[in-house]
Amino acid sequence: MTVLNQTTDSRTAAAPAPAPRRRKPLATRAYKVFRVVALIAVVLFLVAPLFWMLLASFKTNVDIYDTGKSFFFTPTGENYANVLQRNNYFVFIFNSFWVAFVSTALSLVLGVPAAYAMSRFTMHRSALVVLMARVIPGVSLLVPWYYVFSNLKMVGGFEVLILSHMFVALPLIVYIMMSYFDSMPLELEESAQVDGLTPIGAFRRITLPLSVAGIATAGILSFIFSWNNFMFALVLSGSKTKTLPVAIFDFVSYASIDWGGLMAAATVVTIPIMIIALFTQKYIVSGLTAGATKG
Amino acid sequence: MKRRSIVKYAAVAAALSLGVTACGGGSGSSDAKTSGTVRVTLANHVWTDGIKAAIPEFEKATGLKVELTQLGEDQLSDQYNVKLNAGSDEIDVMMYRPLQEGKAFAKNGYLADLTSKVSADSNWDWKDYQDGPVKASTVDGKVVGVPIITEREVLYYRKDLLAAAGVQVPKTMDELEAAAKKISASNPDTAGFVARTGKSAAVTQFSSFLYSFGGDFVDASGKSAVGSDAAKKAYSFYGGLIKNYGPKNVSTDMSWPEAMAIFTQGKAAFYTEADSLYKNATDPAKSKVSDKVGFAALPAGPAGSKPYNIPSWGLAVNKASSNQDNAWKFIQWATSKDRTLAAQKAGVPGPRASVWADPAGTSTYPQDLADAIAASAKTGVGHDRPEVVTVGKAREIVGAPIVATITGADASAAADTANDAFQKFLDSEKK
Repeated sequence: MTVLNQTTDSRTAAAPAPAPRRRKPLATRAYKVFRVVALIAVVLFLVAPLFWMLLASFKTNVDIYDTGKSFFFTPTGENYANVLQRNNYFVFIFNSFWVAFVSTALSLVLGVPAAYAMSRFTMHRSALVVLMARVIPGVSLLVPWYYVFSNLKMVGGFEVLILSHMFVALPLIVYIMMSYFDSMPLELEESAQVDGLTPIGAFRRITLPLSVAGIATAGILSFIFSWNNFMFALVLSGSKTKTLPVAIFDFVSYASIDWGGLMAAATVVTIPIMIIALFTQKYIVSGLTAGATKG
Repeated sequence: MKRRSIVKYAAVAAALSLGVTACGGGSGSSDAKTSGTVRVTLANHVWTDGIKAAIPEFEKATGLKVELTQLGEDQLSDQYNVKLNAGSDEIDVMMYRPLQEGKAFAKNGYLADLTSKVSADSNWDWKDYQDGPVKASTVDGKVVGVPIITEREVLYYRKDLLAAAGVQVPKTMDELEAAAKKISASNPDTAGFVARTGKSAAVTQFSSFLYSFGGDFVDASGKSAVGSDAAKKAYSFYGGLIKNYGPKNVSTDMSWPEAMAIFTQGKAAFYTEADSLYKNATDPAKSKVSDKVGFAALPAGPAGSKPYNIPSWGLAVNKASSNQDNAWKFIQWATSKDRTLAAQKAGVPGPRASVWADPAGTSTYPQDLADAIAASAKTGVGHDRPEVVTVGKAREIVGAPIVATITGADASAAADTANDAFQKFLDSEKK
C-alpha cells in the first residue's frame, strides 16, 4: 500500500513538467519517466489483489488477518490440499472446462458462418436481433429459462448449461467476426470465384483460413466468459454439474469463512484462464483491432 | 415490404427457439420425481455438516433416499427466488432464514403449512421449542417452518485486558462504556469496543441495544418507532461506542467477518455479536486470543438486558412439492431431540428447551457462554430485524442512523430521517 502511495506522489510530481518546446530532449525524458512511473502504478494497482490472493492461499486463517504477516509468514500447503483433495476440485474443473469448451465450439460452428453471411449480404436487421440477445440482461431470462428447462427435465445437466452459455457466446462471436469479415477485402473472394470456386468454396478455402486470428479472439473471449460465468450455473447446474465459480462459495458458511481455502480455490480458478490468456494474448489484441481500420 | 420482413424475422426466431428446445427434450439430468427420494437444499453451516454425516442413518431407518444440494447463504436465497418463483417441485425440504425471508416466502406461497404436522407427534414435541424461535417461524398464525439454529447477542470480552485495567465484566451499558473508555485510553493500539458497522449488517446486532434502551423498530400500533427517544439514545450509544472507543479509522462497512477479525487479532477489548459465532473466537486456528476470550450476557440498558433470541435458520417444506409427507419425515428426523443435541454439542445452539436443560447440551460450551445463553434465552426478544416482507430494504433504512452516528453525525437528526423513510416503507408494504 505504501508503495502505491509513493508512486502516485511521484507521478503528481512528474506530471506538471511540460517543458518548453525547444527543450525537447528534456521533455521526452520527463515523459519517459512519467510513463514508467504511471505504468508501475497501474500494474501494481491491478496486480495487488491477485498477489494478495496468491499470498493468502498459502496462509493459515489466523495469519490472513494479521497485518504484521502481510509478506513474511510461514507458508502452508494445507489450503491446496483441502481444495484439491477433500473438496474434489478436479470434478469442478472438468465441469467448467467441458461447458466452456463445448459452448464455445458450438457457438463458433454456428456463429462464424452466420457472421460471414451477415457481413457479406449486409443483413443489418438480423445483426440487430442478434445484438438484442446481448443487450438483454441475463438475469431477466433466468426465471423463464428455469421454468422451461425444468419442465423439460433438463436442469442439472450439461446441455442446459451449454445452451445458456451459448446464448451469450453466440452474439459475441457473431459481432467480432462480422467486423473481421467486413475488414477483409472482397476482391480476394471475387478472384477466387473467377478461378472457379463457388461462393461457399471461397469462404471455406480463402476467407476462413485468413480469419484464424479473429476466430481465435472470439473463441477465447467466449471461453473466458463461460469459464467465469456464475449466474447461469448457480440456477441451472446441479450437484453433479457444478462449475468452479459456484463451487468456490462452498468455503463461505453462515458462521465461518475459510479464507485460506477460498483463496486457494480462487487461485485454482484463475490460473488456467490466465495461462490461456497469456499464450493467446497476441491473437486477442490483433483480432480485436483487425476490424477497427476498415476502409 | 418492411412489415413482411419483420414477420419473417419473428417466424425465424420462433422456429429457432422451438428447434433449440426440441433438441434438448429427451436428455437431461436424472428424473427424481419418484416419491422415495427427498430432495433437500441446505446452506453451508456446521449444522449441515453434522446432518450430512448422519443422513445414511435416516436412509437406513426409512428406506428413503436423500438428494442433498448445499450452497452458500446468499446463493441459496437467489436460487429459492428463481426456482420457487417458477413453481418448481424439485425442492422438497428447504433450509431458510425465518426472519430474513420467511415472511416474503410465506406471502408468496412458497412454504407449506405445517401447523397440523408439528402438533401431531408428541414424542417429537413441538412444545419443547423456545417461544422466540417459534414465533419467528409462524406467519399469520400458521407454522411454516421448524427452527434448527438459534442465536442471541452476547458480549465477547478479553479477560486479560479487563484484568490488566482492573475492571469488572460490565453488567450495564454505562459500565460497558466506562470500561471501554478506560481500556482504550491505556492501550493506544487496542480499541475499547468493536461491533458491526455496515448499514445493513449492523442492524441485527444493534437491535439488542435498541430493545435494552426500551425501543423497537415498530411500535405496538404498527408505526415506525426508529425516531422514538429510546431509539435515538440507542443509536447514539451504539454509534458513539464505536466512534469514541472503536478502532481507529474504522470502516463503516463491517459485517461479522471484519469485526470478528479485529477482535480475534487482539485489537479490541469488547465485542457484541451473535453467540453462534463463538467458535471463531475460541478456535486457535482462527483466533490469536482463543484462550483469553470471555463471554457475558448483554449488559443491561435502561430497560434491562434484552438481547434478541431468534432462529437464524429453519427447515420448511416447499408448497409445490409433491413429496410433502416424506419431506416432513426428514424434518422430523433432522430436528429430533437426539439430532438437536448432537448439533448443539458440535457448536450449533439449538431451539429446544430440553436440550439446553440437559447438562450434555452445554457440555462443549465455555461455562460463561452457557450461562450467558441461558440468561439471554429468558429475556430474549424474538426478532433481530424489522419483521416485514422486504427485509433487505428495511435494514438499509433503519441501519442508516448507525453509520451516521459512527461517522460523527447527529444521531437524533439521522433517526428522524430514518423514521420518515421507514414509515413510508411500512405504508407501502401495507398496500
